[in-house]
Amino acid sequence: MHNNGHNPYKPTPMHIVRAYYESNDRSLKTLELVFDHQADRDEFFEAYNPGQFCQLSIFGKGEAPFGVASAAWEGDFVRFTIQKMGSFTQYAHQLQAGDAIGMRGPLGNGFPLEDWKGKNLVIIGGGCAFSTLYALTKHVHHPQNRPDFDQLVVIYGARTSGLCMYKHDIQSWYQRDDMEIHQAIDVPEEDWSHHVGYVPDVVKNVAPSPENAVAVVCGPPIMTKYTLPVLVELGFAPDTIFTSLEKRMKCGIGKCGRCNIGSKYICKDGPVFSLAELQELPDDI
Amino acid sequence: MMYILEKKKLNKILSTWAQEHEVFVPQKVEEYSQFLPYTEDSELALKSPHNTRYPPKALFLPQSEVMLKFNNRTQKYEEVNTTPKSRLVFGVRPCDAKAFRLLDTVFDAEDYADPYWKAKRDATILIGIGCEVPPSTCFCTTVGGGPFNQDGLDAILTELEGSYLVQILTEKAETLFASLSPATIEQEKQVEAIQTKAHDSMSPAFETDGLKQKLDQIFESSYWDKISESCLGCGICTFLCPTCFCFDIVDEVQRKERVRNWDTCMFRIYSQEASGHNPRPTRRERTRQRLMHKYSYWLDHIDEIGCTGCGRCVRYCPVGLDIRAMLRTANTHESEAVHA
Amino acid sequence: MSELIAKLKSEIKRLFDEDVVDVVIAFKKADSPLRPQPAFYRKGDSLEDLEYNSLCQNNLANYLTRYPHETRIGIVVRGCESRSVNALVVEKQHPRENLFKIGIPCQGIVDLRKIVKQTGEDVSGYKEDQEKISVVFKNKEYQFDRKDVLHDSCLRCVHPNPVNPDVLLGDPLPEGDPGVLRQAVESFEALTKQERYTWFQQEAERCIRCYACREACPMCYCTECFVDHNPPRWTESTISPAGTQAWHIIRAFHQTGRCTSCGACERACPMDIKMTYLTDKLNEDMLNQYDFAPGMDDTTQPPFASFNLDDKNRFVA
Ligand SMILES: Cc1cc2nc3c(=O)[nH]c(=O)nc-3n(C[C@H](O)[C@H](O)[C@H](O)COP(=O)(O)OP(=O)(O)OC[C@H]3O[C@@H](n4cnc5c(N)ncnc54)[C@H](O)[C@@H]3O)c2cc1C
Ligand code: SF4
Ligand code: SF4
Ligand code: SF4
Ligand code: SF4
Ligand code: FES
Repeated sequence: MHNNGHNPYKPTPMHIVRAYYESNDRSLKTLELVFDHQADRDEFFEAYNPGQFCQLSIFGKGEAPFGVASAAWEGDFVRFTIQKMGSFTQYAHQLQAGDAIGMRGPLGNGFPLEDWKGKNLVIIGGGCAFSTLYALTKHVHHPQNRPDFDQLVVIYGARTSGLCMYKHDIQSWYQRDDMEIHQAIDVPEEDWSHHVGYVPDVVKNVAPSPENAVAVVCGPPIMTKYTLPVLVELGFAPDTIFTSLEKRMKCGIGKCGRCNIGSKYICKDGPVFSLAELQELPDDI
Repeated sequence: MMYILEKKKLNKILSTWAQEHEVFVPQKVEEYSQFLPYTEDSELALKSPHNTRYPPKALFLPQSEVMLKFNNRTQKYEEVNTTPKSRLVFGVRPCDAKAFRLLDTVFDAEDYADPYWKAKRDATILIGIGCEVPPSTCFCTTVGGGPFNQDGLDAILTELEGSYLVQILTEKAETLFASLSPATIEQEKQVEAIQTKAHDSMSPAFETDGLKQKLDQIFESSYWDKISESCLGCGICTFLCPTCFCFDIVDEVQRKERVRNWDTCMFRIYSQEASGHNPRPTRRERTRQRLMHKYSYWLDHIDEIGCTGCGRCVRYCPVGLDIRAMLRTANTHESEAVHA
Repeated sequence: MSELIAKLKSEIKRLFDEDVVDVVIAFKKADSPLRPQPAFYRKGDSLEDLEYNSLCQNNLANYLTRYPHETRIGIVVRGCESRSVNALVVEKQHPRENLFKIGIPCQGIVDLRKIVKQTGEDVSGYKEDQEKISVVFKNKEYQFDRKDVLHDSCLRCVHPNPVNPDVLLGDPLPEGDPGVLRQAVESFEALTKQERYTWFQQEAERCIRCYACREACPMCYCTECFVDHNPPRWTESTISPAGTQAWHIIRAFHQTGRCTSCGACERACPMDIKMTYLTDKLNEDMLNQYDFAPGMDDTTQPPFASFNLDDKNRFVA
């Protein structure tokens, strides 16, 4: 995307239409944003691809990057799920429906969906990083997109059932006959009928086939670190395993120099990389 | 075209330009020098053997630059006018001019152009001055430049007795000197000799052939512990560096401004994430980033070294760390078993 | 000097041979004779490049806090450095028993800027003896009286001799005159409020917030400096009068009862900013009001860090 002379640091004016807690401990909150101007909306959806992120902007609090958690077909809104961490995110949690907010994006490369056409998708997520994978799954679910891909397997882990995001919707995935869904929590809980254990172990158990498949892994660094070797063991080649990286960011467009790993800027050349690409990069994560 | 600018006419020509352009010249502040707006009383600091201490990159990427003005209650904002009046920078050294050209590849890139940088660059004419006696801390010729390098300049001056010879390099500078008398063949020859002599007086500071590959290879080695042991982790070598461009974006609530400020990979908090994880927790990783950026990553991007050999980091490092010595050490560092 | 360097080398060698220390922090020669560098020697390292002269401008105590408490550190200390080390020991930054202080009575640190001001930049050779400092500039030798080119902090130095060193190399020097420091502080105090503010503004507002002053200071070891704190942000990080003034004033205040007037901050500053006048004033106040000078032993807490349950002021509860 080129900024065609307009200022890429200018946030697009947006409003929050829905704001709700995603977890019972109130550490995760979802904000759904709509555009103040139709032209901005058109431009966004023209460019947006699942796996991309945006810089949310709250004047007085600054900006912070968040992965887009919705698919374009879901409606005229853009969804983000925000974990309470520091200054920006604490404030973002106080926002209500009707509040104004700014957004820059979509930024980054997103998932290489074109290359994945005709393949089986194995989607593996943990914690709040599942948000972009949720967007990806939603994208695939659309009747127009579904034929582009073959089998769909989703493995999603959270520490507790209370931290499971998008509960209502994911519950309905069990009824779908065009996908497999495996949810896991770290330790057993009453009323939990799905997997118990860490994501890498669940992946091992589920053992998705590498045959004509790509795997996408997004989660906390420790989860990603232990899941990648499991996939390699199952026979996934490094160029069929993808992950999304996080680094502290400011500009989001490859100018401020902050988010590099080797000569790649995570904001601009990523955040999605294949394991093969990562293996080429120096260990600076 | 080459002209002769008599030294005694310098002030006059500067004030003529100042009627149409905002003119910046190197001036003395305390014991250092810096590009500041020209006034009739400006005392030009052209004599120093080297560059201004405070780098002229600040004319295009100011240390603090307001990007947007906002109202935090309504969340409305205004853009700040990015287009300055026409500018002329007089007395730029070749290493700094080259740095501008290098930074253009970042700020005026094909994917995203930075409007703040670009507007100022587009509005600026750069009149350079070559370095007749390059000081011992400079090493431009080692990294593909030279004391009379024309890269990035619109015109370049060579000092003669009582005058400067002006070489016009681009159309932008064409009319500026048109009122002056042309140089004679002898003067042109004299200048050529001065330039060659200056260039030849600088011996290579380190081997650049294979240096990138070597650095890539020793990314995990103890070399970085060794060279970063005394580093303080301050901002001097990067803030003063003409090619360092990292910035932070902050909201200054009291002034209701979104501002970008120079930042540096040498600071601990630079890459610290909200979770507490820091990918570059010690000076080892931070020094590595600085050197790798300049001597490896820039090459990946544009196949040029991202250091112009201006020598500032060498001169002003408070613990005397010398990037030339560091790179020589890299060249001779034995490859070793990788760290655990 | 060469005699002193020889003594230093043999002492360091002894410390390694007798397994007294794991590392020795000293200075070494660099490519440029004008910029000796902090050096870190370990057993088996060649001491060939060890250096000591009046150009050694850093406060080596700065590096103490980088080591785990178990590391046995040998450190070359002059007067101010020995007191910084003490102040750090008081603040529990390194146990005294794991420190070996190699003391050198100090004749003061040369301020290169004072030399360059008279010769021009790009000075090359350097020589010194008791009274004279000489440098080479454009193939010509320039000679200076030592006192004319010493750093201002060193001109005001009261304790040139290391305090409680484990070994002292060289003969003790006469102590400095506290009147010089007092006078410097008083002459600043004698200015009008407006003049003082103008001075402060002119210095503080040239600041580029490179934090070299902080990083060069042994006492600035906080893992998170107040300027880096977020949220809340205590100061503007933008280069603005408010931001730079806040940085300068708060940095100085955090040094109250801790600064040993070594001047390392001022020598590190790339913008030639004066800042020791602030900490010197605070030191004078500490002396006058609490009879306390930082780092004179390794047990006494600075007044602002000590507290008594029977304190007549209720500032804690
Ligand atoms: C590509 C990408 C996608 C992300 N997606 C999500 C998401 O969907 N949901 C979610 O909850 N979090 C996400 N994060 C992490 C999120 O950006 C940080 O948690 C957030 O920036 C913390 O900001 P803070 O102001 O609360 O924390 P503070 O510690 O106060 O941070 C201050 C500033 O530092 C920067 N910063 C700090 N940590 C990070 C970090 N980990 N990544 C990037 N910048 C950082 C930001 O500019 C932030 O404003 C994502 C990060 C990246 C890089
Ligand atoms: S100027 Fe010197 S001490 Fe400061 S960060 Fe650079 S190398 Fe380290
Ligand atoms: S790295 Fe040093 S020598 Fe190279 S351009 Fe930067 S300041 Fe100049
Ligand atoms: S060397 Fe460091 S501060 Fe300079 S541009 Fe590169 S990453 Fe930024
Ligand atoms: S060293 Fe000087 S310029 Fe740098 S932060 Fe300190 S006072 Fe400011
Ligand atoms: S966030 Fe600025 S370069 Fe990536």
